[in-house]
Amino acid sequence: MKSQTVINTFVEKTGAYVAAQLEACTRCGMCAEACHFYQSSGNPEFAPVWKIELLRRAYEQRFTPVGKFKVAFKLDKPVTDEDIAHWSFIDYQACTMCNKCSMVCPMGINLGPLIHTVREGLSDAQAVPADLKAAVNKQEEIGSPLGVTDDVFDSRIEWVADEWEIEMPMDVKGADTLVVFSSIEIMKFPNNLAAIAKILNAAGEKWTLSKKGREVVNFGFYEGNDKLTKEFMNRVFSAAKELGVKKIVVTECGHAYDALRWTSANLMDVPEIEITHIAGLLGEYVKSGRIKLKPGALDGNGTITFHDACKIQRRGSHIQEPRDILNILAPKSFREMTPNKEESICCSGGGGVIAIKEADPIRYASFELKIDQVNKVGAKTVAMACSNCRLQFTDCVQHFNLDWKVAGLSQLVADALVE
Amino acid sequence: MNWESTLEFARGPFFQVALLVFIAGMTYRLVAVLALGWKADKVKSKGSKVNGIAMSFAKGILIWPFIPWVKNTFTRNPITYLAGGLFHLGLFVVIFLGAAHVLVWKSLLGFAWFSLPQPIVDWLAAGAIVAMIALFINRLVNPVLKLLTGPAEWLNWLVVFLPMVSGYAMTHHVIPEYDTLFAIHMLTVDVLLIWIPLSRISHFMFYFFSKAIHGSDFGKRAVTP
Amino acid sequence: MPEETIGQHLKKQGISRRDFVKMCGVLVGAMGMKFAPPLEESGLPAQLNNVRDSASANLIANALETKQRVPVIWLEFSDCAGCSEAITRSQSPTLVDLVLNTITIEYHETLSAAAGFQAEKAKEDAMKKYAGKYILVVEGSIPVANDGVYCTIGGRTALDLLKETAKGAAAIISTGNCASFGGLPRANPNPTDAKGVWELITDKPVVNIPGCPAIPEATTGTIAHFVVFGGLPELDNLHRPKTFYAQTIHDRCLRRPFYEAGKFAESFDDEGAKKGYCLYKLGCKGPTTYSSCATIKWDQGLSFPIQSGHPCLGCTEPNFWDGGGFYQGQSAPLAPPTVTMAGAAVAAGAVLGVGAALANQVQKKGAHAEEKKEG
Ligand code: SF4
Ligand code: SF4
Ligand code: SF4
Repeated sequence: MKSQTVINTFVEKTGAYVAAQLEACTRCGMCAEACHFYQSSGNPEFAPVWKIELLRRAYEQRFTPVGKFKVAFKLDKPVTDEDIAHWSFIDYQACTMCNKCSMVCPMGINLGPLIHTVREGLSDAQAVPADLKAAVNKQEEIGSPLGVTDDVFDSRIEWVADEWEIEMPMDVKGADTLVVFSSIEIMKFPNNLAAIAKILNAAGEKWTLSKKGREVVNFGFYEGNDKLTKEFMNRVFSAAKELGVKKIVVTECGHAYDALRWTSANLMDVPEIEITHIAGLLGEYVKSGRIKLKPGALDGNGTITFHDACKIQRRGSHIQEPRDILNILAPKSFREMTPNKEESICCSGGGGVIAIKEADPIRYASFELKIDQVNKVGAKTVAMACSNCRLQFTDCVQHFNLDWKVAGLSQLVADALVE
Repeated sequence: MNWESTLEFARGPFFQVALLVFIAGMTYRLVAVLALGWKADKVKSKGSKVNGIAMSFAKGILIWPFIPWVKNTFTRNPITYLAGGLFHLGLFVVIFLGAAHVLVWKSLLGFAWFSLPQPIVDWLAAGAIVAMIALFINRLVNPVLKLLTGPAEWLNWLVVFLPMVSGYAMTHHVIPEYDTLFAIHMLTVDVLLIWIPLSRISHFMFYFFSKAIHGSDFGKRAVTP
Repeated sequence: MPEETIGQHLKKQGISRRDFVKMCGVLVGAMGMKFAPPLEESGLPAQLNNVRDSASANLIANALETKQRVPVIWLEFSDCAGCSEAITRSQSPTLVDLVLNTITIEYHETLSAAAGFQAEKAKEDAMKKYAGKYILVVEGSIPVANDGVYCTIGGRTALDLLKETAKGAAAIISTGNCASFGGLPRANPNPTDAKGVWELITDKPVVNIPGCPAIPEATTGTIAHFVVFGGLPELDNLHRPKTFYAQTIHDRCLRRPFYEAGKFAESFDDEGAKKGYCLYKLGCKGPTTYSSCATIKWDQGLSFPIQSGHPCLGCTEPNFWDGGGFYQGQSAPLAPPTVTMAGAAVAAGAVLGVGAALANQVQKKGAHAEEKKEG
């Protein structure tokens, strides 16, 4: 009985944190208006609050007298396996865990984390979309969802070092900083690797890569699988410990940053190592003058705008740094989209959604909101600090035949370095 | 049973019992939730949780009705924002600053505070009633609300609406039998008091927790909630 | 000599036609004729509807002149004679004069010179002589517990006397809160099971003129109405003449602007009280009290309670003694829970809450165990 497993997990995970928020919800439906999946599809089942309906029902039926009464008098339907399949669909394929919904909830309910709890239940019951599960398994077995095995990693890094003629320190004991790429960058945006290496070298950072901790992406976290989430994070942490670094830099990946920086300590024992995101680091370098940028380097190529990633900006606070940088690089042509910063609209590809083939139609439909936003400012270039967003953007640019240039922030910085 | 003795019952023993049920019920709800246990947050904060919480409440209470413009979501469901805001504003003003209710507080607490001029209270009460009707219609037409609304929501609506209209009708003497309306008002208030702990109307208590959770989560990350 | 017309009687008294018309003008005002009664029913010419002031006074004078004086029997039961006393001190002596000239009081225990058997005899005679024509005025409530033994006159119970006298009455006027709604005798726990007249007599028209005491002008005005129009004025659902009870005290209160502005006296000697602020917070029942105290006032229009600084007690309303303390806000609950009760409620809630949470904690721990058992 999948439904039983899911409910049991919910029961197990429901503490005061979850209960207080479930109790506070007034079912006002406001959160739906924030969710890009609902906005683009009009499907009321994509309302954020509906995504946690199972959790609410489990809580009500198992923990509250009113719920027990309802069950006893058959006023409430029990949760069935069909329900589980259905919610697996709406929670995995129509939610990027972007948490925008919690920004508009009048009760301030943190829906993102609650939806994560729902995913935990679904994961326990093995009600995970096949594509996503396959990627998780791949990461478990070979260390990366995109097939970056040890060998692939070695050859890719070597190739990048050769191609861009850049030094890529590997497994350097005693380095200050461990840099962990995401396999999306390794496989799809190798220029990002080169760019980051170039910046770090220019800043005189004592940094290193690690073969063991080579993958920052955490598909266990997407799935809501605590055990694997911990295992994947542990690979990074133990590499960091072995190398004795003081700092871990998460490169352009949002979900990984959320997991590593903001979640890990509550799941496991973590070493006393600072964890930061490359966007934050870039801002620091520019501010302190460790790197110098050519002012106005990007001006004259049409309007440039910045896409705020849910996990790096709204959930990661690196809101100001990219703007500082873009104001140097493109003081004349940088324009903001609305809404932006912590209220930005999600790219629709995060949270594992882009890994699920089945979810393509809703993912594309939802991206249209982004197209609107970008077109409204008339941007020709869209910059971002998340390679998952970037993957979604490049895919959609192709799908919709758009003429935008999609750029990673690090790449823009690297290109404008004054050497 | 005539209206006079109904009123006496509704203002007297029934009210007393209803209020005690309310107090016990709300305490129960609160304790039952809190005693499920909080896990300590071991994540190192970047910003201040306290500031985040303060900001979250400030935004929620002081400028809530104005935030939606910023969020770009206002136009998508203005009724919920406007009617919801107006309803709560009217309700709070009437309950806490209407002269008649101030006297209730005085007799319950032994002290009281100022009350607002009658026309203000009156117009806000009317506004709250109109807002309730708007919210009712909204629940019938908005697709998300249609999905979310079940018998419980309708019941909640009714239980809140009745004391509001009966109170309004009473202050406006819509029928000369003042005690009839007063009795109805008190009966519905008593029912409401008993109903609150059994329903989602209790959200006002958990509001403080959910808003604080929201604020601290954002504050910890140094993001404005 | 009730057989003679009122006109003849007045002439005998030496009242000139001019003075008489003047008095009738007062009566027009007292009956609220300018704004009230549906005259068609009373059988008077419809033109009365349109006339005002002196014209209407003339009409009334004409109507009265040709009528016979109306006999009145005034009974007192569980009362304090306050209403009788009030009526003798009516604010418009001319009106009272007029009314006393247009009626003949055949029986009134407190006012009549005769007493004992003589008086009772007079009453019996009047009842026989004017059967079906006299007005019965009742003052005081009627206790009905234990066969009405709690109020007896000449060995007969109030209930008995009332029923007997009511039989031949053309109309009954209950004056004061006691006769109307039971008044003080009916206050909790109402040991004598006191009742108002209209609860006991249902086959005769009964007018209630509640108040403590009843506003004399309301009583006399109603009687005058009966005399002039030969019928009762329009009544509200509590059988009160609309002329005098259509508006609340609050509607006409001179402190009303302060109420609207939210300015209240918080105690009897504070700044607000001195400035004449609204007395709502001192327990004023004005908003729920239908009466014309605020317009007719007392003691020749000198003042009325709210004007002199005391909140309205709500004496024209049923349940006047049990509707909350006089100085307690009219909206306040009658029995607010005590601190101990509230504390007990909190304790009970907390105990239940902890219990529920413990049970839920157990559920949480065993969540997946159960599943394993199921296989
Ligand atoms: S906006 Fe918040 S309170 Fe309203 S339905 Fe969504 S989660 Fe519930
Ligand atoms: S987290 Fe984002 S994607 Fe998920 S329900 Fe909320 S708004 Fe929609
Ligand atoms: S004193 Fe009494 S009747 Fe007058 S305005 Fe105030 S509440 Fe109303």
